[in-house]
Amino acid sequence: MSLEYFTTIAWLSWTIPLVGALLTPLLSRIGPKARDYGAVAFSLLAMLMTLQLIPSLMMEVEWPIRSRVSWLIIPGAPIIGEVGAGMLLDPLSVVMVNVVSVVSFLIMLYSLSYMHGDPGLTRYWFFMNFFIANMLLLVLSDNLILMLIGWEGVGICSYALIGYWYQDSREGWLHYWVGEPPEAYPPSHCGMKAFMVTRLGDLFMMAGILMVAVSTGTLDFVELAEAGKIVPANLQPLLPAALILILGGAVGKSAQLPLMEWLPDAMAGPASVSALIHAATMVKAGVYLVARLFPIALEWSSAVPEAMNFFYATMWIGAVTAFIAATQAMASTELKKVLAYSTVSQIGYMMMSLGAGGVAMGLIAGYVGSIFHLMNHAVFKAALFLASGSVIHACGSRFLRDMGGLRKYMPITFCGMLLATLALMGLPPFGGFWSKDLVLTATLSAGEYVVFGIGLATAILTAFYSMRMIGLVFFGASEQRGSRVHEAPRIMWAPYTALAAGSLIIGFAAPFLEHGLEEVFAGYITIHGASHGAGGWNQLVPLFSVAAVVLGTIPAYLIYVKRTWKAEEIISKHRSLEALRRFILRRYYLNAVYYMAFVKPSLRLAETVFRGFEQGLLDRLNYAISYTARKTSDIVRRIHTGVLGHYVIGIMIGALILIALLLGGA
Amino acid sequence: MIDANHLLLQSVMIPIISAPVILALGRRLGENVGWVASIPLIYVLVTLSASAMEVYHGKGMLVASYRWAPLIGGDFTLMMDGISAPIALTIALLSFLVCIYSVGYMRGEHGLGLYFCLYMLYAAGMVGAVLAADLLVFFIFFELMLIPSWVLIAIWGTGPKERIALKYFIFTEAGALSMLAGIAATYSMAGTFRMDELSSLLAGVDGGIIAPIASAMLLGLFVKMAVFPLHTWLPDAHAEAPTPISALLSPAMIGIGGYASIRILYTVFPGLLENWVAMTSLSALSLITMGYGGFMALAQRDLKRLLAYSSISQMGYMLFGISAISHLGVIGAVLLYVSHGLAKAILFMASGIFMKLFKTRSIEELRGLAGKMPYLSVSFVIGFLSLAGVPPLLGFWSELLIFAGSIYTALLSPMDLVRLIITLLAIIMAILTAGYGLWTIKRILYGGSLEGSSKIAKEPMLMTVPMIILALLTIILGIYPSIITSILNNMMI
Repeated sequence: MSLEYFTTIAWLSWTIPLVGALLTPLLSRIGPKARDYGAVAFSLLAMLMTLQLIPSLMMEVEWPIRSRVSWLIIPGAPIIGEVGAGMLLDPLSVVMVNVVSVVSFLIMLYSLSYMHGDPGLTRYWFFMNFFIANMLLLVLSDNLILMLIGWEGVGICSYALIGYWYQDSREGWLHYWVGEPPEAYPPSHCGMKAFMVTRLGDLFMMAGILMVAVSTGTLDFVELAEAGKIVPANLQPLLPAALILILGGAVGKSAQLPLMEWLPDAMAGPASVSALIHAATMVKAGVYLVARLFPIALEWSSAVPEAMNFFYATMWIGAVTAFIAATQAMASTELKKVLAYSTVSQIGYMMMSLGAGGVAMGLIAGYVGSIFHLMNHAVFKAALFLASGSVIHACGSRFLRDMGGLRKYMPITFCGMLLATLALMGLPPFGGFWSKDLVLTATLSAGEYVVFGIGLATAILTAFYSMRMIGLVFFGASEQRGSRVHEAPRIMWAPYTALAAGSLIIGFAAPFLEHGLEEVFAGYITIHGASHGAGGWNQLVPLFSVAAVVLGTIPAYLIYVKRTWKAEEIISKHRSLEALRRFILRRYYLNAVYYMAFVKPSLRLAETVFRGFEQGLLDRLNYAISYTARKTSDIVRRIHTGVLGHYVIGIMIGALILIALLLGGA
Repeated sequence: MIDANHLLLQSVMIPIISAPVILALGRRLGENVGWVASIPLIYVLVTLSASAMEVYHGKGMLVASYRWAPLIGGDFTLMMDGISAPIALTIALLSFLVCIYSVGYMRGEHGLGLYFCLYMLYAAGMVGAVLAADLLVFFIFFELMLIPSWVLIAIWGTGPKERIALKYFIFTEAGALSMLAGIAATYSMAGTFRMDELSSLLAGVDGGIIAPIASAMLLGLFVKMAVFPLHTWLPDAHAEAPTPISALLSPAMIGIGGYASIRILYTVFPGLLENWVAMTSLSALSLITMGYGGFMALAQRDLKRLLAYSSISQMGYMLFGISAISHLGVIGAVLLYVSHGLAKAILFMASGIFMKLFKTRSIEELRGLAGKMPYLSVSFVIGFLSLAGVPPLLGFWSELLIFAGSIYTALLSPMDLVRLIITLLAIIMAILTAGYGLWTIKRILYGGSLEGSSKIAKEPMLMTVPMIILALLTIILGIYPSIITSILNNMMI
C-alpha cells in the first residue's frame, strides 16, 4: 500500500460524511426511509474509510504522511497568505479518527430508532453527518487554521443539536429541559450558552494562533516544533503566552474549569447527541489539541523554558476539574447530568495526564495514558449515554428520583450499563482500569504527588457516583412501575451493549494495546529524558487504584443498592453535610456567579449606556446643536427689521468703523 | 491597462441614463417597473464582472480616462484594481438583488416610478464612488449616493421620516464638506485630483501640513462609516428607511467610507502610516467603535435598530483592519466589506419580511419562527454567524485577516506592546457579536410559535430567494476565499 493510498483515504474519510450531510435535504424529498438509512450509510462509509488507516500503524512507515493542496491564496501577504489545506496522518490522528468514526457509526445506528418519528429529522441527520465530517477534519488537518475550521464547525453542530428541540415546550420540560429550578434551562438557551462559552475560549485560541503564526512564521503542525526554536529573542516571551491562549480554546471545548459550565446544560440535547458530541468526540477535541501541541511545546521549551508553563497549566486545570466535577456528579439529581459531570471529570484526567507527561519532559506514559483513556472513555461513556437515553425514554423523566427498580424491566440495558459503569469506575480488567493506571503512574513519575493525590481521590469519588447511579436507576422499589416501562428495541440496545462489550475487550487486550501505543508514539515523540520509574512506588499504583475503587464503591453500594444505609438520614444528621450538598447542587455557585457577573451586568450596562449616554447625551447633543443654530438665527433675524432707516444707520456705522480702521492703519 | 470597451464608464452611466426612463415608465407599469429597473442593474453586474476578470487576468488595474473639466485639469477618471473590484461587485450584486426584493416589498406603495428612479441613481452613486480614480469624481459620486437616499428615506420611510432623513443628510453633508475642504487643499498643493499621482507629488510636503488635510478628509469618511462618536445618524436612518434601502445603506453604502479611507491612507497619504500615534489611536478608536456598537446592539428591542448598531460595530472592524498598517489588514478590511455586505443584507431583508408579514419589527413580538419559515431561518442564522466570524463562512476570514494584520504589525520589530494589547482586546471583543447575534436568533426563531402565526408565516418567494442566494455566496466564498483574495494582489497601494 502506497502512501498516496492512505492520504486519499484521509481526504475521503471527512468528505464522505460532508457529502452525506449535504445530500440529506435531497434524500428527504425521496422519503423518510431513504433519508434515515442514507445518513447512517454515509457514516458507515466514513468508518470503513478510517478503518483502512489502521494498517499504517503496524507498518514501518515514515511518519507523518502528508498531502497538501493550496487553498487560501493571498499573493504577497506574509504567513497567512498561503494557508494550505492538508491532511496529516500520524499515530495520533489515525487513532483519533478511528475512535471518532466507530463511535459515530454506532450512535447513528442507535439514532435510527431513538429519534424515530421526530419531526425535525432532516435537520438532525444533516447536523450529525456535518459533525462527523468536521470532527474528522479537525483531527486530520495539518495546520492550525484548517483545524480551527473543523473546530468551529463542530461547535456549530453542537449548538444546533443541543438546541435541537428549540420549541422549548414547557409541558415537555421533564424530558427536554435541563437542570432544577432556579437553574432549569430550555434547550435553545443551553445551545446558545454552549456556543458562547466555547466561542470565548476559541477567541483566546485565535489570538494565540495568530501570535504563533506571526512569531514563528508557520502554521504547520510539523514545522512548528523547529520554527519555534529559532524565533528572534524579542519574540520568544510570546510563545509561552500564545500556548496558554491556545490552551484557553482547549479548556473551553473540553469543558474544563473555568469554562466548564456549559457542558452540564448541554444535556438538553437528545441522548444520542450527548453521547456523540458531549462525551465521545467533540469535548475531546481539547485533549487532542493539547496532545497535538505536546511535542511542539516540548521542543520549544528547550529554547524558551517558560513554555513548560503550558504543561503545568494543563496538569493543574485537569486535576482540579477532575475533582470538582466528580463531586458534582455525586450529588446530581439528573441521570444525564451525572454522566456529563463524569465526562468533565474524566477529561480532567486526560488533561492531567498530558500535563504530567510534559512536566516530566516528555514522559511517554503520560501521553499514552491520556490517549488510551480517551479511547476507553469514548467507548464506555458513549455506551452509558445511549443506555441513559433508553432509560429516560422508558421512565419519561430525566430525574433520578423518577427512576429505580428498572433492573427487572430492562435487563439488557442493565447489563450494558453495568459493564460500562464498571469500566468508568476503573475496575480491572476493564479498559478504564489500565488507562487510569497509566494516568496515575504518570503523575507519580512526574513527581507531582499532590496531583497524584487528587487523582486518587477522584477515583474514589468516581467509584461512588458510578455505583450511586446504578443503584438509583436499577435498584430499589419497582412495584409501582406499570407496563409502560419496557426494554428498548434491539436496534437501540445493540449499539450500547456492543460498546460496553468493547470496553471489556479493550480491557483484555489492554496490556498489548498499551505496549503497542507506547511503541508507536515513542517513535514519534522525542523524549528528552525522565525514566519511566520514580522508585518502586509505581508498582503500587494498581493497588492504590483498586483500593480507591473499593473505598468508593462500598458506601455507595450500601446506600443506593442494598439501601441499608439511608442517605437522607445521614445527611439530615449533619448540618454541614446538608450545606455541602446544597453548595454542590448549586454547582459551586459558579454558574450563578457567571450569570451575575457577566451576563446580567453586560445587559444592564448596555441598557444603561443606551438610555443614559447614547440617547440621553449624544443624541441630545445633536439636537442641541441644531437648536442652538435655530435660536442664533432667530436672534440675528431680528436685525432684519425691514425698516429702511435701520439699514441706513447700519450702513453708516459700518462705514465709520471702516474709515476709523483705515485711518488707524495709516 | 486601458479600459478599451468602456466597461467602467458603462457601469456608472447605464443606471444614470436609465433612471429617467424608469421614472417615465413608472406611471404605465406601476409595480412592475421594478423588473425593468433590474435590467440595467444586472447589466452593471455583468460589465463589472467582465472588468474584474480583466483586472485578474491582466495582472494590473483597469483605467478609463475621459476629458471632462479642462479648466481645472480634471479628467473624468475611473479605475478598477484589486481593492475596488470585490467592493464594486458586491455593490452591483446587492443593488440587483435588493431591486428584486423591492418588487416584493414595495408592492402596494405609491410612486414606484420615482422610487426605482432614485434607486438607480443611488446605485450609480455607490458604484461610481468606488470606481473613482480621482478625488473630485469621488466627491461627486459621494454626493450622488447621498441625495437620492435622503429622498428615499424622507418619502418611503417610517416613523418621523422627514426629520430623520434631514438628520442623515446634515450629518453626511457636514462630513462631505469637511472632505471637500481637504480635497481642495490637496489640489491647491499638488495641482491634480488623481489619487495615484498624489502620493508622489505630496511626498516632499511637511507632515504638519498633511496631517490636518488628511484628517479633514477622513473625518468626512468616518461620518459615513458611523465611527463612534459620529454615528448617531445611523441607527435612526437605518431603522426608519424603507427596508430595501436599509439593506443597501448598511451593507453597501457605509462601507464605502471605509473603502475611501483605504485610498486616502494608503494611496494618497502613505506617509501618515508611519505616524505611530495617529495609527494607534485610529486602532483604539475602531476598538471603541466595535465594542460600543456591539454593546448598544445588546440593548435594542427593535430588530432594525439592532442591525444598525451591529453595522456600527462592523465598521469598527473594518477600520481596525485599515489601521493595521499591513497588507493583511487591508485585505481583511476589503473582505469584511464583502462579508458584512452579504450578511447584513440577508438580515435586513429578513427584518423586512417580518415587518411585511407580522407588521412589527419588535424582537419581543416575534418568536418560534424557525419551523414555519425554514429557508428564511437558515439564511438568518447564516447571516448572524458570518457576522460573528464563524467558519466556514466568509466573515471568519475577514475577522481572521484583520486581526492577523494587526498582530503582524504589532510583532514586527520593534515589538509594539500597545498595539498587541489593543488587538487582543479587539479579538476578545468579538464575543459581543456572537452574543447579540445568537440572542436575537434565539428570541426570534426559537421558542413556542406565535398564536395564529401558521396562517401568516409563509415565506414570500420573491423576497426569500435573494436572501438564499446571498447565504449560499457567504458559504461558497467562506469555503474558498481565494476567489476574492487572489484578485487582491493587483492593488494600487
